Amino acid sequence: MLEVEGLVCRYGKVEAVRDLTMRVERGELVTLIGANGAGKTTSMKAISGLLTPAAGRIVFDGEDITRAPARRVLELGIAHCPEGRRVFPYMTVRENLEMGCFLRRDGAGIADDMDRLFARFPILAERRDQAAGTLSGGEQQMLAISRALMSRPKLVLFDEPSLGLAPNLVERTFEIIDGIRRDGVTVVMVEQNAFAALELSDRSYVLEQGRVTLTGTGRELLENPHVRQAYLGA
Amino acid sequence: MDQLLQHALNAMILGGTYALLGIGLTLIFGIMRVVNFTHGELYAFGAYMMYMWVMLIGANFVVSIALAVALGVLLGAGIEILLLRRLRGADIDTTMLVMIGAWIAMQNTEQLVWSGVAKSIDSPFPSAPLVMGGVSVSWTRLFVFAVAVMLIAGTWVLIQKTRLGKAMRATFQDREAAALMGVRIDRVHTATFAIGSGLAAAAGALLGPVFVVYPTIGDLASLKAFAIVILGGLGSIPGATIGGFILAFMEELGAGYVSSGYRDAMGFLLIIVILLVKPTGLFARKERIG
Repeated sequence: MLEVEGLVCRYGKVEAVRDLTMRVERGELVTLIGANGAGKTTSMKAISGLLTPAAGRIVFDGEDITRAPARRVLELGIAHCPEGRRVFPYMTVRENLEMGCFLRRDGAGIADDMDRLFARFPILAERRDQAAGTLSGGEQQMLAISRALMSRPKLVLFDEPSLGLAPNLVERTFEIIDGIRRDGVTVVMVEQNAFAALELSDRSYVLEQGRVTLTGTGRELLENPHVRQAYLGA
Repeated sequence: MDQLLQHALNAMILGGTYALLGIGLTLIFGIMRVVNFTHGELYAFGAYMMYMWVMLIGANFVVSIALAVALGVLLGAGIEILLLRRLRGADIDTTMLVMIGAWIAMQNTEQLVWSGVAKSIDSPFPSAPLVMGGVSVSWTRLFVFAVAVMLIAGTWVLIQKTRLGKAMRATFQDREAAALMGVRIDRVHTATFAIGSGLAAAAGALLGPVFVVYPTIGDLASLKAFAIVILGGLGSIPGATIGGFILAFMEELGAGYVSSGYRDAMGFLLIIVILLVKPTGLFARKERIG
């Protein structure tokens, strides 16, 4: 469904991603794990069109999106739930969700989806007219996830969804993401919390200094000595 | 007492157009982070367009205002596409220098086209003022105030309720997240600069018939617009609206009770005081729009 081949991304002279190759099949939950600065976020931004790669190819559903702008990537069905949640702080919860379906024109479908999300996250329904910036971190993460789902994506990129959340909310967030995959949406997730990420994922890629150094199923990597030592602290 | 009321009334009427000027500039700075030195020239452009349509072509007064605003919107869009789009991501100093160049070029073009002689624009309203008790106000000024209030309200509705307005607010609050929602940031920039320019042109078209029009009127308009925006806090539309009225009150009261020679100085005095006391402006909570 998504193929990334030999991706290279640069910020000026700094190579953040040196040579990333990965595949994601329909319905999979694939994670990218790695230390800070390994190039995970940059890779996500390159896929969603926020930045243009220096080299390599990104293909989604048969269409080359290597240089496609963010809007086109979204139209094709990839939503990006960015690191740090990035909700619109002075917009209400409802307006944030409306921004999530900015490109959709089917009013009835939008209303349905919004009702469904409000049923799933009652706290968001309760706060629908409140500015998103006044929500707690966990609530903002639910809103950011919901906002990404409002575009009815085929694939969602989650960038560090558990970052900065209290432990009980971290678990809740991973449950939500697992639920999204069970609903048939393909998921690519970047996570520093390697243990949780590997447990959840079908397959995983380990990124080190902008390169994939290891790949395998979640279970395989959980048992891999290098991964255990470098990322699981065991 | 009547004198005070009269000053207050004059200030209200002037404040409406000042608010338009300030809202236009604050929108542009808030969303695009561009210090727009051409703002005053769009004000002058609006005034000259009003002169052209009313005095040279003989168009209807109200239609002329609409045309002047529409042309201001087009000119703004042109400046954005031709100059600012290429400077996206450029250093703020570079952008400022280009805008200063555009300002000088525009002002000299006005001088070339319209000559340095001041022009006046006839108003179709009766010249006898409306007298209420001890205060009087000209019909032209009342009309100017009504149109200004309508434009302020219209801008507010545009920002709060329309799809474009939502895209603008989203871009202001988080440019990258807005792009991820499918907002075309380039178009938001063009629309923002066009709307801001249209509002400056509207202020010029409205005040042109009240005062006289000459090539350098833009300079003072620019300065006042910056003053209003600083007063209200950068990026805040309610701040710019209230800032516009505060500046007008300061000027009127200063001119009335201190000396009319200090009219234009009063606003700046106020700004110095406010910047010393509350440097973020009166109404800026954090950075925000809407």
